[in-house]
Amino acid sequence: MHLLLLGVSHRTAPLDLRERLDFSSRDVGAAVEALVTQSSSAESVVLSTCNRSEIYVASGDPGQTREELVRFLGQYHDIPADAFVPHLFTFEDTAAVDHLFRVAAGLDSLVVGEPQILGQVKDAFNTAAERRCSGPLLNRLFHWSFAVGKRVRAETALGEGAISVSFAAVTLARKIFGRLAGRRVLVIGAGETSTLTAQHLRTHGASEIAVTSRTLAHAEALATEVGGHVVPWDDLQAGLASADIVVTATGSQRPILTRPLVESAIGRHRSGPLFIIDIAVPRDVDASVGEIEQVFLYNVDDLQGIVRENLSRREAEVTRAEVIIREEVARFTSWYRSRAAIPTVVALRQRFDSIRRSELQRLEGKLAGLPPDAKARVDEVTRIIVEKLLLEPTEQLKALPDEETQMVYTEAVRRLFGLRDDPVTEPVRPSAGGPDTEEDAG
Amino acid sequence: MTVIPLVLYAVAAVVYAVHFARRQPQIGRAATTLLLLAALVHTFVIGMQTMEVGHVPFANPSRAVSTFVWLLALSYLYLEMSTDERAMGVLILPILAGLQLVPVLYPGVESLDPVLDSPWFWVHVASLLFAYASFALAGVLGLTYVLQFTQIKTKHLGYLYTRLPSLQVLDVMNSRAVTIGWAFLTVGVIVGIVWATQARVTAPDDPNVQAMALGDPKIFVAVLTWLVYSFAVLARRSLGWAGRRAAWLSAVGFVIVLLNFLPISYFVTTSHTFD
Repeated sequence: MHLLLLGVSHRTAPLDLRERLDFSSRDVGAAVEALVTQSSSAESVVLSTCNRSEIYVASGDPGQTREELVRFLGQYHDIPADAFVPHLFTFEDTAAVDHLFRVAAGLDSLVVGEPQILGQVKDAFNTAAERRCSGPLLNRLFHWSFAVGKRVRAETALGEGAISVSFAAVTLARKIFGRLAGRRVLVIGAGETSTLTAQHLRTHGASEIAVTSRTLAHAEALATEVGGHVVPWDDLQAGLASADIVVTATGSQRPILTRPLVESAIGRHRSGPLFIIDIAVPRDVDASVGEIEQVFLYNVDDLQGIVRENLSRREAEVTRAEVIIREEVARFTSWYRSRAAIPTVVALRQRFDSIRRSELQRLEGKLAGLPPDAKARVDEVTRIIVEKLLLEPTEQLKALPDEETQMVYTEAVRRLFGLRDDPVTEPVRPSAGGPDTEEDAG
Repeated sequence: MTVIPLVLYAVAAVVYAVHFARRQPQIGRAATTLLLLAALVHTFVIGMQTMEVGHVPFANPSRAVSTFVWLLALSYLYLEMSTDERAMGVLILPILAGLQLVPVLYPGVESLDPVLDSPWFWVHVASLLFAYASFALAGVLGLTYVLQFTQIKTKHLGYLYTRLPSLQVLDVMNSRAVTIGWAFLTVGVIVGIVWATQARVTAPDDPNVQAMALGDPKIFVAVLTWLVYSFAVLARRSLGWAGRRAAWLSAVGFVIVLLNFLPISYFVTTSHTFD
């Protein structure tokens, strides 16, 4: 059984093509089911996000399955093959494992280390699992990839540090105010970034959001969007006095918040800090406001500086993440290889057990005179002997270092113990050159 | 015997440092567990010493340091558990381990001036030690607050900024430490006054007792300390002196405490020279 991966991502295909190959806007589950029924793949998972559409399948004949998948993609999305085939990447076995682990860890994301992708990988797998389209190989592979994603996040700083202006502002607010529960936010002027910042502050617990704008309608629209209330423009000072966090984003050409205005608004006996986030260009807040003792003033350049630094720090963590991924790919591959030894191990056990049973049967007459518990003990002892004899060979077969050695060993074991019949019980399809099929052919 | 807590504090200090650098939750839990274990063993050691000499061991300076370390560890554990913030351990644990070296290197013998053998003495010393341990904690928290405040204000958001707690948590911790310290300081000072007044009558010939007056440097500085921390507690509540001002105040307060603990105790005072 082989692992095969076919797909497009932001690295290989332009946005319009990715949109045309997107599964997520339609029923992903139906696509997964169609894949298993309409192709030679035994298991399948479809991972489709705005940055990638990837099909993971387990197949006995990857060459044939690949052709089927290409045909399927064309038909399903109604695109001629030559429109997307040049953008398609194909990975097999170890390379496919490596790719999935990188994706789950966020290394393959447009923004390195972004956290959503792990959840999307989980959703993709769950969709397939619910429809029983994933099997022993993909089950193990995807669960492994979740663990890899978690491990990379825990052991590296790949996902750390805000990488958007609005998140950088929220992170700073949390360093100043701790949990944001109960904090009051004043938004001055409506704009995209200020809306986003207000929303982030709200999701992080800010309890009250006041909005003010020279144009009342703008203020009302923003207040509705972020679940806040409107403060009349003339009450700006009162709004400042009761705010912990101020976000400014007006189109004004001259500063709106000057030092005397802020000083008189917050008064002398204010104990808590005031965090002012000035997103406007040109600036809404006079630089001297930042000199007031309790005021922390950050403008859009400061926040972008933070974002840039965080991004370069993330890049530096990539190497560390890659070490982890290499390690995990090696571990998964060795598990996968040990799995290839299973048919031989099972055959060996069945062989030994059948010898044991037939010998016991032969002795049936002589053992007839024994009391039942003694008979049971004879049965037990013979079973334990077989177990112990097989323990070491089983371990050794599973731990063989590479495919070639494995083939030689399983062949030897099969010859030495006369294992003729393929005892495969689980639905593993014959794989080209796989050790478990050698005897079948002969 | 004091060496076992020392080793545990030192190991915990290393684990706290690793947690500070790598910020992995399981390392943080390991650090706290180690510190809990250290505090537990230390409790046992102090219990043993108490049984051995028949009173809590702090009449001897070196054993008093050990008791101080124990109280500081307990206060820190309380703050850590009540705020779920472990980053301060990297600053506190080295202090614990460093101070615990004193009783290990200079074991000293617990001997008690007969005039001190009174229940008042134990309440007096225990309260003040606990107060000073809390102030030490508050001082470190205050300095950390100022550092973190300056970093955010000047937009230097580097290694320490990411790892140190938020200003809010530092301020809450500082407020708790100062309030608890102040309460114990108040008890300690009042008990000291009452007891000294009694001792003047019962031990008219003791030079120490006769020197107990506001003019004595040690007593004067203790009262000054009380005034400073009373102001800190009051100002936070009624003047809005939280945040950076409170932080500075607790740092300055602890410098005064240190002055009283070390140079004044050894060189200047005439009222507290029992040996």
